[in-house]
Amino acid sequence: MRDKNIKIDVTDGAAIPTRRDPGLFNAWRVTLIGTVIAIVSLVIFKPDPYLRIIKFVPDGILITFQVTFLSIALSLIVGLFTGLGRLSKNRAINLIASVYVEVIRGIPLLVQLFYIYYALGTFFRIHPFTAAVTAMTVCYGAYMGEVFRAGIQSIDKGQTEAARSLGFSKSQTMFYVIIPQAMRTILPPVGNEFIALLKDTSLVSILAVSDLLRRGREFATQTFAYFETYTMVALLYLMITLILSKIVSIMEDKVKPYDQK
Amino acid sequence: MTKSDETIITIENIYKFFGDIEALSNVSLKVRKKEKMVIIGPSGSGKSTLLRAINRLEGVDRGKIVIDGQDITDRHCNINKVRMELGMVFQNFNLFPHKSVLQNLTMAPIKLKKVPPVQARENAMRLLEKVGIKEKATAYPSQLSGGQQQRVAIARALAMNPKIMLFDEPTSALDPEMIGEVLDVMVNLALEGMTMVVVTHEMGFARQVADWVVFMDEGKIVETGTPEHFFQSPEHPRTKKFLSQIL
Ligand SMILES: Nc1ncnc2c1ncn2[C@@H]1O[C@H](COP(=O)(O)OP(=O)(O)O)[C@@H](O)[C@H]1O
Ligand SMILES: [Mg+2]
Repeated sequence: MRDKNIKIDVTDGAAIPTRRDPGLFNAWRVTLIGTVIAIVSLVIFKPDPYLRIIKFVPDGILITFQVTFLSIALSLIVGLFTGLGRLSKNRAINLIASVYVEVIRGIPLLVQLFYIYYALGTFFRIHPFTAAVTAMTVCYGAYMGEVFRAGIQSIDKGQTEAARSLGFSKSQTMFYVIIPQAMRTILPPVGNEFIALLKDTSLVSILAVSDLLRRGREFATQTFAYFETYTMVALLYLMITLILSKIVSIMEDKVKPYDQK
Repeated sequence: MTKSDETIITIENIYKFFGDIEALSNVSLKVRKKEKMVIIGPSGSGKSTLLRAINRLEGVDRGKIVIDGQDITDRHCNINKVRMELGMVFQNFNLFPHKSVLQNLTMAPIKLKKVPPVQARENAMRLLEKVGIKEKATAYPSQLSGGQQQRVAIARALAMNPKIMLFDEPTSALDPEMIGEVLDVMVNLALEGMTMVVVTHEMGFARQVADWVVFMDEGKIVETGTPEHFFQSPEHPRTKKFLSQIL
């Protein structure tokens, strides 16, 4: 049937390796292999300080993952409602959702983090981890909302009419007919958002959340090995995003045309 | 053909505006149970708008529409309930591409009428057999030809067991060689006694099954009559002109 190849881009994520783009695919492989070789050889040939760094940061990697996955899950929910709100015919709901998106898109994530932790923190105590996840969710919820909106809008109006004419209500039409189809268009840009979000979690280190970057900084200030520490931190981030982008590309491959299920 | 006298669709003085465009202007008509009405007219004359007003896909600005005793222009009317009685077939089929043919037929009965899935599937297979496409039950819409898709779309509407079927140019998007298979299904449906309102340019179909033909132009009903009246002695000059162009 109509197989529109709609591409939605909101924030710029990482390049997703795809076999349809051999150049990109090769670049991904070369970078990953290079990164792994660099990490391994640094640890083997110069265990002091590299091996010590590697042993110091895993707690941080875990926190980075926790912030990432919690924020992804929550921002998907916020994003779905924001996207639906932006499409709502109810003026008030539409306005609230649209203003939310405008406000969030106009404020740097770092400022949002500070705002939630420090500014709101003057009124009530917020745990840094909670503040971090909240800020990431609020920010990426708005981005995801735009992705959902575009995905839902990409579905032919005839689908809604067919469902409504059978007797489905508005919300049944949305959940049984429109959203399942929109998922196909939504998945690639959502994958991009995941990766962008993971990278942006490094900002939360500023709120005393012991993520990968924060742990690195702790190590560096103790040992003064700034160059070695940040080299390793950068390599670790790179490896994580490369692997995540591969996971996203595998997910995208799973979204086959309906007749090839 | 014997008809009951019971009116199932009553349209009284409806108006519909799209901005400055008067898509429907003071349109009134009645359809009785088991009747078949064919609506013809040039492009943009308001045929689709009229058909879509019958199941409120298009709300009207003035006037009254009563379907099987229920006033759908009343704001308190549960339109979803009424729509279950009204099957609709679109020019572009609008099958659900993410569902198999069988699922296209069973989804609404299972979700909306709480029909047990086994029974819904049996009923769906019976309908697919009726429209001659049983072997495609597990296929996806994209694997079907246009004619097959439209037959599935008719079966999907029939799966809700509607009292009335609405068709909006069901053969206009089809390659010529596929028009026949869809019209055959529609003719059989007519012979079974379904109440039908059909927008079409297929004059052979109109001649064969229509009790009434309605000619529309510029949002108004210009002339109504039996097929014999239309094809032998149309009255209005605009009707004559239109018929001379398409016959
Ligand atoms: N959704 C809409 N928005 C604006 N104008 C419309 C819309 N739908 C129909 N119209 C206009 O209303 C008139 C009647 O359209 P329609 O009922 O589709 O005619 P037909 O089906 O006879 O070709 C046309 O002038 C058309 O342009
Ligand atoms: Mg039309």
